Formats: sequence, structure tokens, C-alpha cells
Amino acid sequence: MSQHAPAPTRRPSPGLWALIIVILLPAVVIPLWVPLYDKTDPALWGFPFFFWFQFALILMSAVLTALAYSLSLAADRRRQAQRRTGREDGDLR
Amino acid sequence: MSAVAVTVFVFLFLVVTVMGFAAARWRRADLNSLDEWGLGGRGFGTFIAWFLIGGDLYTAYTFIAVPATLYAGSAVGFFAVPYTIVVYPLIFLFLPRLWSVSHRHGYVTPADFVEGRYGSRTLALAVALTGILATAPYIALQLVGIQSVLQVAGFGGSGNWFLEDLPLFIAFAVLAAYTYSSGLRAPALIAFVKDVLIYVVIIVAVIYLPTKLGGWGHIFDATNASFTQFNTDNADAIAAGQAAPKAMIPPPTLHWAYASLALGSALALFMYPHSVTGVLSTRNRGVIRRNAAMLPAYSFLLGLLALLGFVAIAAGVQVAGDPPNPQLAVPQLFENEFPPWFAGVGYAAIAIGALVPAAIMSIAAANLFTRNIYRAYFRPDATPREEAQVSKIVSLVVKVGALVFVLALSRSFAINLQLLGGVWILQTFPAIVVGLYTRWFHRWALLIGWAAGMAYGTWTAYGVASPTQAHFGGPLANFPTTDTKVYIAATAFAVNLIVSIVLTLVFRAAKVDPGEDQTRWDDYAADLGDEDVAAEVDPHAPAHA
Repeated sequence: MSQHAPAPTRRPSPGLWALIIVILLPAVVIPLWVPLYDKTDPALWGFPFFFWFQFALILMSAVLTALAYSLSLAADRRRQAQRRTGREDGDLR
Repeated sequence: MSAVAVTVFVFLFLVVTVMGFAAARWRRADLNSLDEWGLGGRGFGTFIAWFLIGGDLYTAYTFIAVPATLYAGSAVGFFAVPYTIVVYPLIFLFLPRLWSVSHRHGYVTPADFVEGRYGSRTLALAVALTGILATAPYIALQLVGIQSVLQVAGFGGSGNWFLEDLPLFIAFAVLAAYTYSSGLRAPALIAFVKDVLIYVVIIVAVIYLPTKLGGWGHIFDATNASFTQFNTDNADAIAAGQAAPKAMIPPPTLHWAYASLALGSALALFMYPHSVTGVLSTRNRGVIRRNAAMLPAYSFLLGLLALLGFVAIAAGVQVAGDPPNPQLAVPQLFENEFPPWFAGVGYAAIAIGALVPAAIMSIAAANLFTRNIYRAYFRPDATPREEAQVSKIVSLVVKVGALVFVLALSRSFAINLQLLGGVWILQTFPAIVVGLYTRWFHRWALLIGWAAGMAYGTWTAYGVASPTQAHFGGPLANFPTTDTKVYIAATAFAVNLIVSIVLTLVFRAAKVDPGEDQTRWDDYAADLGDEDVAAEVDPHAPAHA
């Protein structure tokens, strides 16, 4: 395709996207890492560790996904800005 | 059973039945087109995505199947929680790419994308067939949910199988009839009632019941004591392998099982036709990401609901059936602990909560058939009226298939039905999700890999026996050459991937025609406002290059 042309839309903010993936990684890896939390103690409000820890993971994942969402908005804004500049330069891919 | 509970239940069930049929007149339109019947005229926008994705979580699966596994003492039952944690980051990363490429090329189903990406109608056919096949047991799970409520509420005679299952047949006929006549409008309208009922019941159940029973600490202690008692009483059977020891927390031997169930189910969830329909109907990429960021809140309630299985143990709930049927635990808990009128509301929430996703799933599977099989292979110039007619009939066929699953497989572990669907649907992952990132795989390698995964998964699942049945007895099997139990879907997926990789190398070396790719790299990041990005995907427009 347009390998030779400047590629304004391909991962316009590689740094931001790498950061998003790094932020989301714990939300995928920690819940699958069972030996980390297959314990009864310490209990919290009567909940064995196994259970309250996974509830805590839900909160963590909600926060991380929200953070990733706001970063993705920033990435989208950069991409649009780049596209506009691209058009002004007469570079329409 | 109490007359008040039954009256409340029947009243609410009748209300939604009337709504289901009346939905045909809502936003009145000609229901003789696929657009109107199968996609509700595409007028629901962001709202539809919210309830389609959220609705996938709050089904009979949540209320019946997950608490039932905990009640039965399955050490891996709580995997539903990590499953719903893991799924949202994956949706966040993968699905916006599918949205972009679909909206630029007019793809409506995952099979459309596969055909465009790999230039292979056969691979698209495999993806479409898998979607339809995997949806049937998922719908079956919903029917099982309805059935357990009916049983506890005291409907249905006894004596022979027909009388026992008669209430289920009636509920099934009602569902089939209004889906047939009203299409997607029926579940969309009923969803309002469903959501209100479900939230009320959830909040009351997770606050009122533990308070009444002496707090969560007492509930966990009582459960632990009950499981220890069971393991002591059945020590001989457990040692002989005839019974599984009960546990609250997975022992080290089941760590891989727990993690693979969670990951396998998460990867499978958004391959289902009804999830993809919901995602593609969103307005732009941002809506999907926003949904992914908001939905983990629901997992919290799901986790508490799952624990109702332990609440039932602490409340001393005894379930009927021989062997005892654990999926009656939650309805029986409502029956024992709630005032009768609220037990009726609880029954209705479960039954209606099962009807809505069952209707949506059967419609999504029917659309897949009509677009990727009927029109692609038999009638390329089918009229909209004909398409709608075919979809209506297929939605019936899919539901009958679900009924067969219900009657043929043991109902005592309804969750196995959903996990069996997961084994199949996950085999489309390499073609769809890997295809969103790279065109490296060869189309024929993907097809043979898919076939290998399907065959291996089905064969292995067939060979799993449980105390109640000889085949399809559970989702776990030993990983080849080891004693470690894992989710069959994960092993089958590994087989699929290995075959696909090896054969891709072979076909590439032999220079077998890789097929034409309609898509370009920048299609995968396109958003609304870019050139050629359609705000709505039109199910009648041919997929274009």
C-alpha cells in the first residue's frame, strides 16, 4: 500500500498507545495469577482474602480502564490534529 | 410455593408477554425487512450497545448458573469474576479495530470481516456456522434458568418428562412467538422492565439476605463448615474418584483450571454474534471504549450475586431433585427467605432476565445465517422481505436447537452449556482477532486450524464424564500429557493456533494463493468523520472493497 508515503494515521502516538497497553496489562494478568490470591487470610469484613481481593481487582480494573480511556481520547485528538496538518500540507495519503 | 408469589410472577410474566407482542407496533415500521426485524430499524444507537453488552452479563447465567456452581462446592465456580474483569481491557483493545474496519467496508457480521480480509467465502462460512452453533447452548442456558424458577415456584406436574417440562415448553413458545412477530423490538422494549426488576432484586438480595443471616463472616464460616462436613462424610468416595471434594478456594491443582476458564470465557464472549452486533451498532470508536471503562462496575454486583450460592448454604437451603439440582439454590433461597410477594418479583426477574438475552441471541444467530449463508450461497439477489422471512424461521430453528441441548444434556450444571459454546466460538478467534492485527496467517491454514480446534474440543468435551452423565459432563480436561486440568476451550485454541501457524509456513513456502485482502492498514484506526466511514452499517449494502 502506501508504505513509501508518510503514514500520519498509523499509531500516531506510539508512546501513548504503549502506555495504554502497559496500564491495561495488570487488569488482565493479575486476575489470572491465581497463586497470588488463593488464601483465606487476611480476611476483611468477614470475606476471606480470595474473595475480597478479587473484588478489589474489579475496582482496580475499573480505574485502569478509565485511565486508559482518557489516554485514548488524547491519542485520538492527536491523530485528528495530525490528519488536519496532513491535509493542509496537501498530503492526502 | 405460595399463591401470592405465583400470582406476582404470572402477572409480571403476562405483562412482558403483552409488551413483547405489542412491540411490533412500537416505532411502527414494516417488519418484513431484515433491517427492521433483525436490527430494530437501527434506531437504538448507543443505548442498544449498553443493554446488549450489559445484558450479556445479567442473564440466567448470573442468577442461576454461577451461584449454582458455588452452592455445589465447585472450587472453580468463582471464575466468573476474573472472567468479567479480564474481558473489558480486551474489549477496549480489540473491538475498536473491528468497529473501524467494519464501518469503512460495510461489514455487519464477523464473518463479513473474515471474507473481506482473507478473500475466502469458505472461511467466512466456517465462522458463521460456528457462531450459530455456539449460540444454541448459550440460549439453552437461559431456558434452564427459566425452568428452575418454574420448578421452585411450583409449576409443572410430575410423573413423566412431558408434564415436568410442560411449563418450559410454554415459556419457550411465548418467547418464540413474540420474537417471530416483533423481532429485536421485543427484547428492546422488555429490557426496560427486565433491568428495573433485576436491579431491585440484586440490591435487595445482597443487602437484605446477609443482614438477615448474620453477616458475610457468618455466611463464609457456615459454608466452610458445610464443605468440610461433606468432605469428611464422603472421604471414601472422594478417594475413589467418585465424588469431587468441595472447596471455596481453588487448590493448587485447579489454578490452571481457574485461570483458563476465566481467560477462555473472556476471549470467547465478544466473538458471539450478539456481542458483535451490539458493538458494531455503536456510534463511534469512543463509545466502545467508554462502555469498556464503565462496565467493570457491574462485575462487582455479579461477584456478590455469585456469592448467593454460599448465602443459600448458610440459610440451610435444600434443593429438590435426585441427585440434588444445585441450580434451584437461588430460586429456593428467594422462596425461603423473602416475603412471598417479593419472591414472586425475584422469580419474574430471573425468568424475564433470561427471555431478553435468549431473544437477542437467537436474532443475532439468525441474521448471521441470512447474511453469510443464505444470501452468500443460495440467493444472492434475495429481496428484503425474503431475508426477513428466512431470519424469522432460522431464529425458530436456533431456539429449537437450544431446547434440544436442554433436554439432552444434564441440567444440573447449566453452566456447562455456556462453557461448551465457549469451546466452539473461541475457535474463530485466530481468524477474527488475530486478523485485526496481521494478515500473516494463510486462509487455508486458518480453516484447517479451525477444523482441528473444533474437532479436538468437541471430542474432548464428549469424553468428559461426570457423576450425573457419561458425556459433556464438564468444561475441564487434562492438558495433553499432563495431569493438570484446564478449560477445554483453551487446549482446543492452542491446537488451533499451532496447526494454523505450521500450515501457514507450509502454504507460504508452497506459494498457495493467499487470497485478496480488501482492507488496508489504515482501515483499522478509522473513526467517524474520516472519509468513507459510514455512521451506520447497512445490512443490505454489499461489503465493499
